[in-house]
Amino acid sequence: MEIYVLVKQVPDPEAMVKVKSDTELEIENKYFTSYFDEIAIEAGLKLKEKFGGKVTVLTLDNRKVDALRRGISMGADEAIQITDPSLESSDQFTIAKTLSAYLQDKPFDLILAGRQAMDDDAGIVGPAVAEYLGIPHVHSIVGLDVNDSKKEAKVVREVENGKENLTCPLPALFTCQKGLNTPRIPLVMNVMKAMKVQIKKVDLSSLGLNPGDVGSLGAKVKVQKYLPPAKRPPVKMIKEDFPDNVKMLVKLLREEAKVI
Amino acid sequence: MPNDIWVLAEHQEGKVKKITFELLSAGVEFSKKTGQKVATLLLGTGLEEAVKSLTPFTDEIYLLDDTSFTPYTSESYLTNIASLVREHQPSILLGGATSTGKDLFPRLAMHLQTGYAPDCTGLSMGEDGKLVAKRPLYGGKVFAEMIFSEARPQMATVRNNTFLVNDKVDKSAKVISIVSQMDPSATHKKVIGFEKAAGAKLDITEADIVVAAGRGIKAPENFKIMEDLAEVLKGSVGTTRATVDEGWRDLKDQIGKSGKNISAKLYMAFGISGAIHHVLGITTCKTVVAVDNDPNALIFNYADYGIVGDLFQIAPALTEELKKLFSSE
Repeated sequence: MEIYVLVKQVPDPEAMVKVKSDTELEIENKYFTSYFDEIAIEAGLKLKEKFGGKVTVLTLDNRKVDALRRGISMGADEAIQITDPSLESSDQFTIAKTLSAYLQDKPFDLILAGRQAMDDDAGIVGPAVAEYLGIPHVHSIVGLDVNDSKKEAKVVREVENGKENLTCPLPALFTCQKGLNTPRIPLVMNVMKAMKVQIKKVDLSSLGLNPGDVGSLGAKVKVQKYLPPAKRPPVKMIKEDFPDNVKMLVKLLREEAKVI
Repeated sequence: MPNDIWVLAEHQEGKVKKITFELLSAGVEFSKKTGQKVATLLLGTGLEEAVKSLTPFTDEIYLLDDTSFTPYTSESYLTNIASLVREHQPSILLGGATSTGKDLFPRLAMHLQTGYAPDCTGLSMGEDGKLVAKRPLYGGKVFAEMIFSEARPQMATVRNNTFLVNDKVDKSAKVISIVSQMDPSATHKKVIGFEKAAGAKLDITEADIVVAAGRGIKAPENFKIMEDLAEVLKGSVGTTRATVDEGWRDLKDQIGKSGKNISAKLYMAFGISGAIHHVLGITTCKTVVAVDNDPNALIFNYADYGIVGDLFQIAPALTEELKKLFSSE
């Protein structure tokens, strides 16, 4: 099977992120591979182990390529970085468009991505790439069973009141959710190897795209203003002894917070 | 005057979900400034009850009654909604940040070549009909106000419990029946089965009240205490990554960075230390209560009310106290 995995290097959940100005953020230099993307890589590797073929990790980023190295250290065969100065300030649509322009003439059976990147938490790029490429997609899968000879996948999708089982013809795109698998921890030897691996760089002109189609020029949404989260008032500790503290809590929830 | 505001209705077994009424209430509020019409897209089968409940909230209902919409798949929804959008050119299209919204909206936006702001926790609109969508980034460490290019419609999905439902809206919708256009051979995906989650409770993203326990509850069977409390509050039970990883609770109930973001009216955390992974999932909850036996637990920094105490003592007592209160009314 020919499998592509869309990956992204994002700030670690523990990294400090603060508003620097209306249009700028300050982000602590503490990055990792978006966790859901690791689940997607793992899913791709499992299929390769079963059916043979190749797993390629693909990112769109002018600077950060460690998610590609993570993919290689886990066992992916090839790493591609789409990079071009005109890609700065892309929104998710121009990202999807650019990734699709790369993928459209590739002989893929399956494209995998995380359910959402753990920075903008948008979850747009996967389904948008599928639309651009004209292939079906299923968002947020927790089960995957491929029948390679029938070119069909059975997937399980999480919905509010349960789990839905679907069949989907390949090629297709699935976004992966926690529960699908546990991503493997790469061997130290493979991490060393991944540090040295050649990352193939692809620029805009080789994709047949114009700078006006991508980056901030092609974007359909933009940030008008960053805001810090609304601050909660300081916590009110209920200091009465048991059981008076419980009675006090009920009183506060009813009379002050008015939520019960 | 800008073109209409559209809301994609969500329903389950004919019952319209609360988020739809929230979005319609917001849409009606916006329309007071701009004079826009508020229309609802309703797709499915057996929709009499749904039409009835939506009628006071909206000027028009585009009704697509067809078996191809039940259960949901993106293909049939996308084909029909895209065609209606092209015909009527709404200015705004809103939906819930639900499993359907998150599956459909990004693809539909790409199809329509228009802007989409996902998982919003606030919307506002100027008199010119330009939407400003507020959404959390980096798990709620910062928020962004998003604006849209000239492309229309401006699309957004919105989290549950973002707007109040305005019961005083008194419209009488005109129902416009639309014949579904679908080439059955074009359907790619097929739903072949459904495993309903145990219990009849609302999903933690949909519930007004969520009570949760973490590893502090010591054993999976002790979640009974939480179930009992949720029962009296008509709420749902959430949990932390630790208990899910232990296999004590189902992944669908996990709150936090690798689980779900909730916007409950009331969230109560029992025996939860307050790891950043968890509290990132509760940033938009209105009122937060924390109970933990460690006075230095980080969770107290994110709470409105705190009790230092033993959850095994506090939670059952709270359940009893609430039972007394509610039965006296």
